[in-house]
Amino acid sequence: MTRSAAIERVFLILIAAVIVAVPWLIPALFNPFWVSVIAEILIWSLFAASVNLLFGYVGLLSFGQALYFGFGMYGVAIGIADLGLPFWPAFALGIVAAMTMALVTGIFAVRLTWHYFAIITVVFSLIFYFLALTNKWLTGGDDGINFTLPPTFQLGESQLSFTDPTFQYLFILATVTLCFWLMHRLIGSPLGKALLAIRDNDVRASLIGLNVYRLRLIAFVLAGFLAGVAGALFSFFGRYASASYMFYHVSGEAVVWTIVGGAGTLLGPIVGTSIFIFVREVVSSQWEHHELIVGLVAILVVIFAPRGLVGLWRDWLAALIERAPRAKGPLHVEPTSKP
Amino acid sequence: MPQRRRLTLLPREPTLAPGTALLLRLPAMDKLLLLAMNGFIWGLIIALIALGLAIIFGLLDIINLAHGDFFMVGTVLTWATLQQTGDFWLAFLVAPLIGFCLGAIIQRIVIQPVRNVAALSIVATFGLSLILQESVRLTFGPTPRRILPPIQATFPLFGIDYEVYRLFAAAVAFAALVGFFLFLHRTKLGTRMRAVRHDADTATAMGVPAQRVYVLTFAIGFALAALGGVVAAPITTVDFHGGVDILPFCFMAVIIGGLGNLLGTAAAAILLAVLEGTIQSFADPTAARIASLVLMSAVLLLRPQGLFKGLTR
Repeated sequence: MTRSAAIERVFLILIAAVIVAVPWLIPALFNPFWVSVIAEILIWSLFAASVNLLFGYVGLLSFGQALYFGFGMYGVAIGIADLGLPFWPAFALGIVAAMTMALVTGIFAVRLTWHYFAIITVVFSLIFYFLALTNKWLTGGDDGINFTLPPTFQLGESQLSFTDPTFQYLFILATVTLCFWLMHRLIGSPLGKALLAIRDNDVRASLIGLNVYRLRLIAFVLAGFLAGVAGALFSFFGRYASASYMFYHVSGEAVVWTIVGGAGTLLGPIVGTSIFIFVREVVSSQWEHHELIVGLVAILVVIFAPRGLVGLWRDWLAALIERAPRAKGPLHVEPTSKP
Repeated sequence: MPQRRRLTLLPREPTLAPGTALLLRLPAMDKLLLLAMNGFIWGLIIALIALGLAIIFGLLDIINLAHGDFFMVGTVLTWATLQQTGDFWLAFLVAPLIGFCLGAIIQRIVIQPVRNVAALSIVATFGLSLILQESVRLTFGPTPRRILPPIQATFPLFGIDYEVYRLFAAAVAFAALVGFFLFLHRTKLGTRMRAVRHDADTATAMGVPAQRVYVLTFAIGFALAALGGVVAAPITTVDFHGGVDILPFCFMAVIIGGLGNLLGTAAAAILLAVLEGTIQSFADPTAARIASLVLMSAVLLLRPQGLFKGLTR
């Protein structure tokens, strides 16, 4: 794998350079509109990464991550609009709200596995979605809460804030990169190895002395952290929060992005999210029914590239360079035992 | 400035037992009874759709996120039949038949390749759901439409004129439920379906064509949802989003009734709809939906085998 890994690294460095240069490159070449599209892709990639952390690395398919995304959004919006907090405390409030919610719901949810886990996460997110819809005094319901964003850094007279699109983009990029780096470190750590052991066989993991329940709960809270950061960033980015982002379809989209991109790989969610959002942006201006393409792509990928696009790319690269036999089957072994 | 984007699917308030808007001025007791009755009828229709979901879930072991849209396709086919022929009753034949064929085709092309990997099948059915909704939006249009009940008669009940069609709908749904259970327990095909469900390997060894049974099951699941769509079309609205609200409700019925417990699923659908109808008589529909979701989480955590485990057989 060393040569294909090296090629992949070169590609990554090139892509990273382009992504950093976006705020100067894109307005010069195309249209400044695309800078905000790419910023949005970064945020949604982070959200998809929270699905990926649970599904790709622990084997739990969550359909309710939108709940923690929504709590991140509302933590920021309520912090700024109702409590009058500055930028950083509001950011912290959003993340803490999401993680607390993940802990409280996780205590119940990770007792279940398999289909039951997927369903209870949907149920929890639906309960809070409906609560957010009805309690308009707090959440603004479907219309949501609008707010004016306080400056991020202030030093005497000069200040840096999201009103500067370049700063906004770079701030989002830096935060998302930091989160992906943390996730990379987590996967390489002993904790990450323990999670992988649970994913591959939870019975064996418990037999070698791992506390499966507690590890799953930790992973669930960490996934809540990622979703919460994404939600808080999206709230800063749009200057509002709305209950509609807590609906289960938002979670479902992230699951599709993750699996189409390649679950269990760090880059899979980014690839999947980028493709779907680009399709949406390019096609939706020409043709109103772009969802047809989204559905078709999702079905074609799961049938013809069950390991996702990143898996397909790696197989192709390996076959090309090392003339190695193609790996077959999904990227990781699904639990074969049913409850 | 970032744009505020339309979400792919605009979430809405849940539609519960439809036809409750006119009842606000009635005395509390009458209102409660009427809403419970509406809930009961709605529950029978939901039971039909949920049964389709339950057999797909139980036999193919996939979470079918497109099942609500199968119902929606049923309502749209009803509307189309009415437009083409002017005969509502023909839809009872046309919609389930087209549903059956579509189901068989979808199972062969989309479901079969991903059947063994749960996560992939969820993504596949999610994509299917998007395709069904968008194709309906493309052909039928984005505006919701109403179908007038084919039986216009009403009769006085608890102080309002109650539609006879609703009673008819309940009777049809009930007959279809009984017919399905008879099919499952009294025919060779039904026995084969139960055999494959119980143990696919042994059933194959005994000469049951498991592959064909899978196709048949998915097709019957689609047909049941489409039939539910025909029955419900004059009560609810015909809308390309119509399945989005139905899907969580069906899942609740399947879970609360117990996975694999088909009678339990039907009973749970009726129970839930009556419960939501009753709660609606003194609280808003969203509160009713929250109550049933809380009930569902309690069942999932405390009795994951379903509320009725041990009661049947």
